[in-house]
Amino acid sequence: MSDVRVACPRVLDVETGRALFDAISGQRIEQGRIVALDCAETETVDSQGGAWLIAIAEHLHGRQSDLHIEGAHGDVAEYLELVAPGLAPMPAKERADQGLFEEIGHYTLAWGGEARDFLNLCIDALYWTIIAPFEGRGFRWGLLIEEIHEMGARAVRIVALMNFLLGLIIAMLSAKQVENFGVTIYVADLIMIGFARELASIMTAVVVSARTGAAITAEISTMKVQEEIDALRGMGLNVTQFLVAPKLLALIIVMPCLTVIGLIAGIMGGALWGVFILDFQPSIWFDETLNAAYLDDLMQGFLKSFVFAVAIALIGCHNGLRVEGGSRGVGLMTTRSVVMDIFMIICIDIVFAVIFYYLVA
Amino acid sequence: MAGAIIEVENLVTHYGEKKILDGVSFAVPAGEISLVIGGSGCGKTTLLKHMCGLLKPTAGRIIHDGRDIAVLDEDEMARMQRDIGIAFQSSGLLNSMTVGDNVALPLREYGTCDKRLINAIVRMKLSLVGLAGAEDLMPDELSGGMRKRAGLARAIALDPPLVYFDEPSAGLDPIMASGLDEVILKLKRVLGITFVIVTHELQSIRKIADRILMLDEGRAVFSGTLEDVERTDVERVRQFFERRPDAYITQRNV
Repeated sequence: MSDVRVACPRVLDVETGRALFDAISGQRIEQGRIVALDCAETETVDSQGGAWLIAIAEHLHGRQSDLHIEGAHGDVAEYLELVAPGLAPMPAKERADQGLFEEIGHYTLAWGGEARDFLNLCIDALYWTIIAPFEGRGFRWGLLIEEIHEMGARAVRIVALMNFLLGLIIAMLSAKQVENFGVTIYVADLIMIGFARELASIMTAVVVSARTGAAITAEISTMKVQEEIDALRGMGLNVTQFLVAPKLLALIIVMPCLTVIGLIAGIMGGALWGVFILDFQPSIWFDETLNAAYLDDLMQGFLKSFVFAVAIALIGCHNGLRVEGGSRGVGLMTTRSVVMDIFMIICIDIVFAVIFYYLVA
Repeated sequence: MAGAIIEVENLVTHYGEKKILDGVSFAVPAGEISLVIGGSGCGKTTLLKHMCGLLKPTAGRIIHDGRDIAVLDEDEMARMQRDIGIAFQSSGLLNSMTVGDNVALPLREYGTCDKRLINAIVRMKLSLVGLAGAEDLMPDELSGGMRKRAGLARAIALDPPLVYFDEPSAGLDPIMASGLDEVILKLKRVLGITFVIVTHELQSIRKIADRILMLDEGRAVFSGTLEDVERTDVERVRQFFERRPDAYITQRNV
């Protein structure tokens, strides 16, 4: 089978290159034929001219044909030698498609691997937070104080504000519903019970996950990307002891405190509506609020906040340590961390709701 | 200087109160490789950043295409920067994009070439730096040397006549560093690209330098060719090329 011979223009630039591409792609070239490009007359090639040659080669490879360059000399030959790897056929890409069972297997293995890593982190973190300090194996108390300040003291205003506004909204909505029955005073009970059992702990956990959980993931994942985690391991330091344990203990300490602040702020938000809009005496409103305060409701919210703290801290650290890639990986893991936090908050809340439902019953 | 593609005249710059460059002057001849050398912290990278308009000088001028770049407005500065390719020390590749998309980025953003040609240009530029076939890899899948070469491929994507390269050999093994030197020499010879390269790798300097500017504590202490280096009696230059230590290591951060 004879070659198809094409003469390359004297000057190969963007215009002549395009014309050459159109001329070759316009021809019917049978499969397996070789197009021989005669560059004997070619004196100069510029960058875009060279790129058109690569485009011609790609076009021919797509039709199971090939491009041979002949007769190049001087600077042109040297230039073509440099871009020769680009003229070679692209290696076939591996098939990305997987069968159903392969996909199920792939996801099962990935999920299993992640669950194992998370479990290891949980065990490690609980050991370094609760047991190791009593065995004299060291704890970064200085960092604990810093973390308590960052996670707790600096979060008070936003937690209080969010709960206050939520209390106001709940009072507003519920008052509208019960005013027809003339029992608007029970809005105070509703606010107390709602915030004690659910709203204060949930709202506080959501704020903390968006603020502190995201910060933990961003900090640790950036440290991993910049090889700081490897540096710590290289120095023989335990990453869980050094980074995770202080954050976990700090959040376990501050979360119940923030929840109590959230509870008070929520009640104050409800009271604002009750006193100024529903025209109740403050003493009547607060007496009714205190009458509705039951220990098991308060305990439900209070106990939940400990579990939320453990979940947010460990999910934040887990995602931070799993980061891959650079800045994009940090962003993806931070997002994943907040989504996982909120999902876990709801799951934990359901478990507590079921337990207390049957316990109280 | 006739035939200079960019000239620096009496450049003075400060970081806060600290003077970083103190009256530096030199010219970059077209089609040559000019090296800016000197010890760590002597102001090499700062000089490079001034030459591409990323920093404003306290005093002095940088003349590109007959105009002081300090007086260019935003659009003119962007046009000037399009004529200059910059390969950063840490490559500056965007981690969220493949290597191919990184190289294609300036081509797509400026839209100066046929859209059908973008993939071919990306392949060609990657071939020029010895990375053909790496289009679909992510930057974090590349070794240090490959990242630097991918950064160079992006820097030459728009066929700039002038390329700045910050520390091409830093952190590379000798084989990789030597390979990168070969790539730079080929790009100069075949495409006629003018390079300004910041480095302090002696073997690279001896292999690729056409002209050398040496900085020491912000001042230009030497300017000339490799032959001039052999003849110079500037003590700092001799010490640099003979790898002789100071009597004590200078504390540059105080």
